[in-house]
Amino acid sequence: MHLRRLLQKAVLQATLGLLGVLILGPWPALAQEEVTSSIRRYKDRELSTGYYEEYEVKPRRARPFVGVPEVQRRYTPIAPYQPRAAIEPDVRSRMEDSHAGIQFYELRRCEECHQKEARQSHTTRGNLTCRQCHGGEPIAGINYYYSPLNPIRRHAYVCAKCHEGANTSFATYLVHERTGEAPTRKTFPSLYYSGWFMYLLIVGTMAFFGLHTLIWVGKETYHYIQEKTKQKAEEEAPPEEPKNE
Amino acid sequence: MNDRVRIIRFNIFDRLFHVFIMVTFLIQAVTGMGRLLYTTNWGKTIIGLFGGYEGATAVHNTVGILMIIGFVIHIAYVLTKVEWKEWRKSLFDPDSLVPRKADAIHLGQKIRWFFGLGPPPAFDRWTYWEKFDYWAVFWGLPLLGITGLMLMYPLAVSRIMPGWVLNILVLLHRAEALLAMLYIFIIHFTIGHLRRGMFPMNECMFAGSVELEKEHEEKPLWIARLQEEGRLEDVMVPGPPRWFRILYFTFGYTALAVGLYLLVNIIIYRHYIDWH
Repeated sequence: MHLRRLLQKAVLQATLGLLGVLILGPWPALAQEEVTSSIRRYKDRELSTGYYEEYEVKPRRARPFVGVPEVQRRYTPIAPYQPRAAIEPDVRSRMEDSHAGIQFYELRRCEECHQKEARQSHTTRGNLTCRQCHGGEPIAGINYYYSPLNPIRRHAYVCAKCHEGANTSFATYLVHERTGEAPTRKTFPSLYYSGWFMYLLIVGTMAFFGLHTLIWVGKETYHYIQEKTKQKAEEEAPPEEPKNE
Repeated sequence: MNDRVRIIRFNIFDRLFHVFIMVTFLIQAVTGMGRLLYTTNWGKTIIGLFGGYEGATAVHNTVGILMIIGFVIHIAYVLTKVEWKEWRKSLFDPDSLVPRKADAIHLGQKIRWFFGLGPPPAFDRWTYWEKFDYWAVFWGLPLLGITGLMLMYPLAVSRIMPGWVLNILVLLHRAEALLAMLYIFIIHFTIGHLRRGMFPMNECMFAGSVELEKEHEEKPLWIARLQEEGRLEDVMVPGPPRWFRILYFTFGYTALAVGLYLLVNIIIYRHYIDWH
């Protein structure tokens, strides 16, 4: 019993301490400085040598947002035809020049065709350009033997440029995979099914408790108003004469 | 309000844990949503309050670790509440939050009442939705805590398991956080503020005590049990002082405002949410 009271006291003190740290402690905010991206600062080596290899000096602002792909595609069809890349991605991913034979290739921007891919957070937040990972022209397919994104060297040639110490396991993180979409079911089933599990959990919980709360609060309020009007009517009406029994 | 008979419902630990989870949850929600919606102007403004993306991340990580510590302390506290010599009786006691068979029956009765097919259920100390609230946090905190801690150290994680696990961890963290926010900001707020008789705010989690008269309607079995055991006089307490009511009304409504502001912006910017 004594031990329990001691433990309870310790719990109280620890909780109060936590709250105190939360309220009084300083925010771990960091200094603002000029950066290439709005998230990652220059690496120390680049700062000290002044040698900016694949980074350009930009003011601190983010790239303009690429846009919601579906919306853009619907109203301004910038890609009027499906290039062969859409039909045979497996073949394209093994070619030295993965865009070979595509008309007006030089006049286009990556995100005109690869809209969903361009919306990935490495681009929208990390401010990376496509070529910083996929390599310069001609852009090789990721399974082409000499591509920097070939799984045998991806971790060292691409990931480790920012994620220091990235290993082959780390490089199996899939950057352009999309959670709920049909192709993911074949390429990454565990992500696909965990996405659907969470989706059903959210929709199920919200639907059940949403309806539950709505009906409940509605019915209670209805009864309340009914009672009030009844009370009011009784107050206004003349009191009934006592009945003789 | 002070002249009515009030009985104690939450002790100081319960109330402190609730305040702790309110503050930390809202900080996590603000820093998390700001970063999730970083591509929008709203997200940039929000994380600007925390000193930019990395500042917001640092706050999110620090508060996350505090939450994990708080959760461990809470478990230690819960373990002191169980009478271990009679653990079976203690766990399935009406005063315990462990779900019982009666809760399923109450839910059935409640649904019947919704359609006008029967009387509303008579509750004991904890209703089934209150138990759901508690266990939802109890499941959400470890899930968010463990996935969050792993995402803090992605390189270390990739050394013990394949890197594609990180894809799934990000998804789980974001989806569970969104579920928690939607549940709290829509359902918990509605139940806590908009119910008849509770209207401006249900004060019991802050004041710690409830009016006996109201509980006669809401939780008749609890009051009956207290009377039977002769403990009703023991649990009677004076009402909260005026300054304390002003304090917790301000605090509660600030939290409500932050939550609703976040909810509105989640709805506005829902297309920009990346699931992984």
